[in-house]
Amino acid sequence: MSWAGSILDGLTRDWGVDHPLVLALMALALLPFLATPFVRRGIPSAALVPVDPLSRAVAAALRLAGCLAILALVLGLAGLHRREQSVEREGTGAHLVLLFDRSSSMDNSFADRAPTGDQESKSAAAKRLLAEFVARRPHDRIGVAAFSTSPMPVLPLTDHHEVVDAAIDAIDRPGLAFTDVGRGLALAFSYFADDTDETSRAVLLVSDGAALIDRRVQDALRDAAARTPVHLYWLFLRSRGSPGIFEVPPGEDTPQANPERHLHLFLQGLGLPYRAFEATSPQAVADAIAEIDRQETRPIRYVERVPRRDLARPAFMVAGFAVALLLAAKLAERRLAPARRTRAPAAEAAPARRAA
Amino acid sequence: MNEEPLQPIPYRLRWRPEGIFPGAHPGHGEGAEGEFRRHVSLLRQPDPRRIDLRVSLRDPYGELHVRQFAPRRAVPVVALVDLSGSMRFGDAVAGRVADLCALLALSAMRAGDSFALFGCDAHLREEASLPLARRRGLEEEVRRRLIAAQPEGRGAAGLMEAAERLPHRCSLVFVVSDFLMPAAELENLFDALWRHEVVPVVVRDSSVEERLPRWGLVEVGDLETGAARLVFMRPSLRERWRLEARERRQALETLFVRRGLRAIDLKDALDVEALARRLMEG
Repeated sequence: MSWAGSILDGLTRDWGVDHPLVLALMALALLPFLATPFVRRGIPSAALVPVDPLSRAVAAALRLAGCLAILALVLGLAGLHRREQSVEREGTGAHLVLLFDRSSSMDNSFADRAPTGDQESKSAAAKRLLAEFVARRPHDRIGVAAFSTSPMPVLPLTDHHEVVDAAIDAIDRPGLAFTDVGRGLALAFSYFADDTDETSRAVLLVSDGAALIDRRVQDALRDAAARTPVHLYWLFLRSRGSPGIFEVPPGEDTPQANPERHLHLFLQGLGLPYRAFEATSPQAVADAIAEIDRQETRPIRYVERVPRRDLARPAFMVAGFAVALLLAAKLAERRLAPARRTRAPAAEAAPARRAA
Repeated sequence: MNEEPLQPIPYRLRWRPEGIFPGAHPGHGEGAEGEFRRHVSLLRQPDPRRIDLRVSLRDPYGELHVRQFAPRRAVPVVALVDLSGSMRFGDAVAGRVADLCALLALSAMRAGDSFALFGCDAHLREEASLPLARRRGLEEEVRRRLIAAQPEGRGAAGLMEAAERLPHRCSLVFVVSDFLMPAAELENLFDALWRHEVVPVVVRDSSVEERLPRWGLVEVGDLETGAARLVFMRPSLRERWRLEARERRQALETLFVRRGLRAIDLKDALDVEALARRLMEG
């Protein structure tokens, strides 16, 4: 009994039905073994028919088809489905969080003015290139977050790339007010909090500027960086005329005057593998993304939640197929036509003649 | 019932019947009239009423010749009809078998012979049987009984019972059956009928021997045992089926020939002409 129980347990863990009582109709599946769709034609002796294995096989197949049709119909009516499941998958790629700057300056072109003609805004260029980037990396798990005045979680880490594409698609919406990089980074790090895999993790920060990071936020970021080792990439969309992040400016070098450069210094000081790309044109953005693409390839293993799958439709299709088979067999039915009685037609014709 | 009335057909026997009942067949022994046989001298048969004057005058020795005749005798004609389930196929019994038996009854009656009918399945069936008789309207009664008889049951052991109830002199016995019984049973039956002149009438149906569907599915059920089978008809199986039917027919023919019997085929419909020809051959 225990093995029966374990089999039942194994079945019900992965599979389920909506209306279990309907399953009682499964008993009807025995019907094809009691009757056939054919009209039985009498024959003087069964010994007249040659022994034929193929006929026997066809008969067995038709019985099975009938059985299958009834079973599939009952399962379909009962609402067979596979329960929601988690599946472990493997691929090459990384866990990647795309962190977007949604401040209003992103809507400007690289020349830092409203885009005109065939010019591309920074956000549009980022959107286009990132969409290509994501399309090239099918096995990545990608999360999306944005920040402006406050951080906005957009999408947790997922490998459903349609959603990621949609999220990326939305980053050229008109931007909001300011730029709070610090809390955005904290949000991005928090994405990896319950991610314990031995995979390559990366945060890709896309922004066109920076702001002061609060000292408390700085501490929190250092903590987070110590807890979750990630690769950090900063794709700095530099507008023309704005100070670069690499060169030391001639004037005073304070975080207030030059927040981008100091964010760069701060990120370097986090003790994480870090690279910054300074992109001044869409082409430079493409180069930077290609570089990231090259770096973040390591085998990863991840658990995917597969949603419940309804199997009623396949069940009905199987039933339809089996019934079609039976129908074809029924249409192929022939009869053994016995000889007509010789005198019967005369007897039938007689009253007619008399009536005439 | 039928439009054209049955025409009696003559039949000849292969032997000279004994007995005392006057009939139409040249019988054993010497009789005073009937079929002329030979001239004998008056001394050998002192019957002056049948002196043949012409022959006597032609005789140079002046001997008197008397005409001798074969007596006319009647024979019992019996139809043993197999009423087992297998004969239900194609309404054989109510159709051609009833036709055949009615025709035989009529012919026997017209020839002055008596006719008896025995319908048998596993046992002799009284309601489908008639004792020896030669009354008028016998053929209609024979037909009625056969049409009313529903063939059912398994085996044809009743034929053996019927064989015991046949007259004790040589009779003309028609065994009407599809002869699908085992060969041993058939041998036993013919052994039991040793005394009689047996004419096997093989009821066959071309729809299970030749006119088979080329393609398709047929579910066949044995009319005796009820066992059902699905048959997937296709040209190769059709060929095999025909071949087996031919072999079965040949085996049956061999069995008949070994006993000196000549069977009559009752295939699909009663062919009166062929039957008459065959019966006239004796």
